[in-house]
Amino acid sequence: MSKQRALCLVVDDSRVIRRMAADILASLGLRAAEAEHGLAAVEFCRRTVPDFVLLDWNMPEMDGITCLRAMRAMDLKPRPIVVMCTTENGLAKIREALQAGADEYIMKPYDREVLFDKLAQVGLVERA
Amino acid sequence: MDDLLQEFLAETAESLAVLDVELVRFERETSDATILSNIFRLMHTIKGTCGFLGLPRLGAVAHAGENILGKFRDGELEVTPRAVTLILKAIDQIRSLLAEMEATGAEPTGSDEALIAEINALAGGAGAQALEAVPTTIAGPSLSEDGFPVAAELLAEVAEALEHQNMVRPEPHLPEPAHLGEPPAPVHAPEPAPAASAAPKESEAKEPATAASSIRVNVDVIENLMTLISELVLTRNQLLQTQRVQKDNEFKVPLQRLSHITSDLQDGVTRMRMQPIGNAWNKLPRIVRDLAVATGKKIELTMQGADTELDRQVLEMIKDPLTHMVRNSADHGIEDGAHRLAAGKPETGTIALNAYHESGHIFIRIADDGRGLDLERIRQKAITNGLAPEATISGMSEQQILQFIFRPGFSTAEKVTSVSGRGVGMDVVRTNIERIGGTIELSSVVGKGTTFLIKIPLTLAIVSALIVEASQQRFAIPQLNVVELVGVSDRSEARIETINTSPVLRLRDRLLPLVSLRDVLGLEPCENRDRFVVVAQVGAHTFGIIVDRVFDTEEIVVKPVAPILRGTRFYVGNTILGDGSVIMILDPNGLSGAAGKIKSADADAGQAKAGTSDAQAADQTSFLLFRTGGGELKAIPLELVSRIESFDARAIEHVDGREAIQYRDHLMPLVPFSAAHQWKESGKQETLVFSDNGRSMGLVVDEVVDIVRDRMAIELTSGRHGLLGSAIIAGKAVDVVDIGHFLTQAFTDWFEMNAMHQPARNLLLVDDSPFFRNLLVPLLASANWKVTTAADGIEALRLRDQGHQFDVIISDIEMPNMDGLTLAGAIRSDPRWSAVPLIALSSHTEENDITAGRSAGFDEYLAKSDQTRLSENLARAVRLASARNQDQTELRRAS
Repeated sequence: MSKQRALCLVVDDSRVIRRMAADILASLGLRAAEAEHGLAAVEFCRRTVPDFVLLDWNMPEMDGITCLRAMRAMDLKPRPIVVMCTTENGLAKIREALQAGADEYIMKPYDREVLFDKLAQVGLVERA
Repeated sequence: MDDLLQEFLAETAESLAVLDVELVRFERETSDATILSNIFRLMHTIKGTCGFLGLPRLGAVAHAGENILGKFRDGELEVTPRAVTLILKAIDQIRSLLAEMEATGAEPTGSDEALIAEINALAGGAGAQALEAVPTTIAGPSLSEDGFPVAAELLAEVAEALEHQNMVRPEPHLPEPAHLGEPPAPVHAPEPAPAASAAPKESEAKEPATAASSIRVNVDVIENLMTLISELVLTRNQLLQTQRVQKDNEFKVPLQRLSHITSDLQDGVTRMRMQPIGNAWNKLPRIVRDLAVATGKKIELTMQGADTELDRQVLEMIKDPLTHMVRNSADHGIEDGAHRLAAGKPETGTIALNAYHESGHIFIRIADDGRGLDLERIRQKAITNGLAPEATISGMSEQQILQFIFRPGFSTAEKVTSVSGRGVGMDVVRTNIERIGGTIELSSVVGKGTTFLIKIPLTLAIVSALIVEASQQRFAIPQLNVVELVGVSDRSEARIETINTSPVLRLRDRLLPLVSLRDVLGLEPCENRDRFVVVAQVGAHTFGIIVDRVFDTEEIVVKPVAPILRGTRFYVGNTILGDGSVIMILDPNGLSGAAGKIKSADADAGQAKAGTSDAQAADQTSFLLFRTGGGELKAIPLELVSRIESFDARAIEHVDGREAIQYRDHLMPLVPFSAAHQWKESGKQETLVFSDNGRSMGLVVDEVVDIVRDRMAIELTSGRHGLLGSAIIAGKAVDVVDIGHFLTQAFTDWFEMNAMHQPARNLLLVDDSPFFRNLLVPLLASANWKVTTAADGIEALRLRDQGHQFDVIISDIEMPNMDGLTLAGAIRSDPRWSAVPLIALSSHTEENDITAGRSAGFDEYLAKSDQTRLSENLARAVRLASARNQDQTELRRAS
């Protein structure tokens, strides 16, 4: 287990963003899986518990915040690190996310550098 | 990044298609929060993704759109058609930017400030709304549900980020996890970066998630796969054929298994190419919505079976016809609200689209509950446009009359609206559908609505074809184009005759032009006396293909024609037959060109006329050469001749010093060329039949000599009655017959019924061809017109400068010095003649020619090839042109 590279789940309704995030994660030496909305993410977690979840806010089927609450309610072991993505310019939203169990947030649009920083912050990657 | 951009283009295009549909839905159900949030999310995602890819221009437009949607959502802005139109405009703009990006690979430069300003103005001048005031009070550390301390600096960071307008710049953070106390998160040391990037992505980097139950595959890959499967099917067929002739051996069982698997595989790949028809319907709600707004009607579009799947190639082919038909329904079919209410119908009209599978075909039904097709108007129009003689039409069933709307050049719309007057007619719709092996049926009830039913095959890759042989080579002819087979030999009744060098077949009163496969493909001649004619139809053209033998029909796999053969117009592809031989698939379209285009516009009436629509020979006319009354060879434009008949001389009745014959339940007068004609007692009497206005007249001739195409210039005008003059046609001196003379002999009132019992009025005829001038002048003169002629636009305008005035002007389009379009422009732009009704008379009668003519200023457009009914059509055109001209003049005055 310790030898296996961390598994990251990218949850976003945009294929483009999923793919971009997955590419960045892969380039950082992490494994990436994708889910197109909250429901699919919850479904995924039932089978495989990811180490890290990059969770978008606005999605069809199930939005990010509901997904986050659902994941936390599932009490997954080991507990995944969840980073909420948002473009919403509301502090209230971020607070809501953090209170719902998000470990970090990331503002869209992010790039490789920003994502790397977040990952480093939560200890998934080491700064060179 | 390139393929990421590609992905973005595809994704955004999908989103936009959904947006179109959803917005239209939302406009009707403004209270539906689900639709709105879906719309908002899509727009939001587009905007968000633009941010990722660094597409500021696109992002700005999406942002403006999102802005309004946000206001809708928060109830700050009322949902008005104008607001929705603006959002649709934003979507259109995004779409056009995407198109440019697709072409150039980069976001186009420029600015959409005007549109954005307009949108923001609507949003309440809140252009800068994007940046809301950042809350200044920041709460201290708080605890999440799990008891995690939420760092206050996180919130501070948020605030700072907001000041930096969305873009978070990374700040130096501690490398170790700051707030991940319990339970210990599974933190793994990352592998060295270089190793990771070298790792194969597909297998390791990504793990399939449940969400990713579908993948995107390039169309080329599937197409290629389809080709391979086709090969496999052919090889399988070969093996089966070999197996059939051999006794049972050990291959039999595995071969059968291979056969089954191949079939399954073929099915599977065919299914891969399938797309839901909904993809072709995406645009429709938007089109109907825009149309409803533009015309002030209320229209509801319902769609059923949008998930019915069909081959993507087929889908592409029916997209435009479907759009056109829905547009037609919305524009012409559905009445406006007041009319509907008056007719006791709900104010909102419905257009219902329905698609379903049935017995290997897809059925698409397009039904509206509008006014239905006006049978009487179609009948009138068919007569006016000379699609069939009045007598024939009066005997037609409703269904037959409805079919006229599929004829080229037919449009029932009284006025050409901005919506449907786009130069696409139902004829194009039918042609497109037939091209893919489909059929279209139509039913209409006045006051209740119109329903079209389209039936199309599931796939195009495999077609049914007739296998024929010429000079010991086999060819496939798509079964779709084959109408019938006729066996011909010297002994059979059906014989191939030659008119000049062109082979023709007399088939049930019709002169069918033929093309010999052997000659056209330059094959070896062979000694075969018994041959077959494959009667083929391409669109409205019918012709025969002469072949040596006919085998059976086979399901063949169409393989595209090799590039080296692409230059030839006779092949559409090739295929491999079950016995392994490679044969060419003939293109009936190309062959029909070789046979000379045949207009069978009068096919229902059992007539076929040689046309003159070959582009390179537009200035040429087909002439029928015949002998009668001694002297020179006589010629008459073939278009004027309805039929060539061979009557039994004994059937000719001599009544009251005039001759007549029972013909199609009527007594048809027969007129000899000269009064001194000696009537035959027995044998066959060759007769040229002329028809107009439901009446027919026969000109008896001694012998039909030839049909030739030539440019004709009348060299000598004749003083003799019945002759227009002499001309050189195909190197021979001929007398050109003035058929008008004989028509008046047969029916003294032939022209009177067209002349409108008015004092002679002035008409200017502009045409560079002396032949046409000579032909038309007597026709027009007998219709009570005083005719002045001009050879080109310059000459016509000179007449204007000289102060001449005309009641109507008829002009050719193609003329030297100044053509008809330029002339029309000049006439319309000068007050002296601007109010004169202007009629175009041209051999080019494609829709776009007509459109060009109309926009140049012509009030009416007449086909030169339609001379059988020219005098009558002219009279009608003059009336119509006068009426239209009056409207236009009033409009011009008013504006």
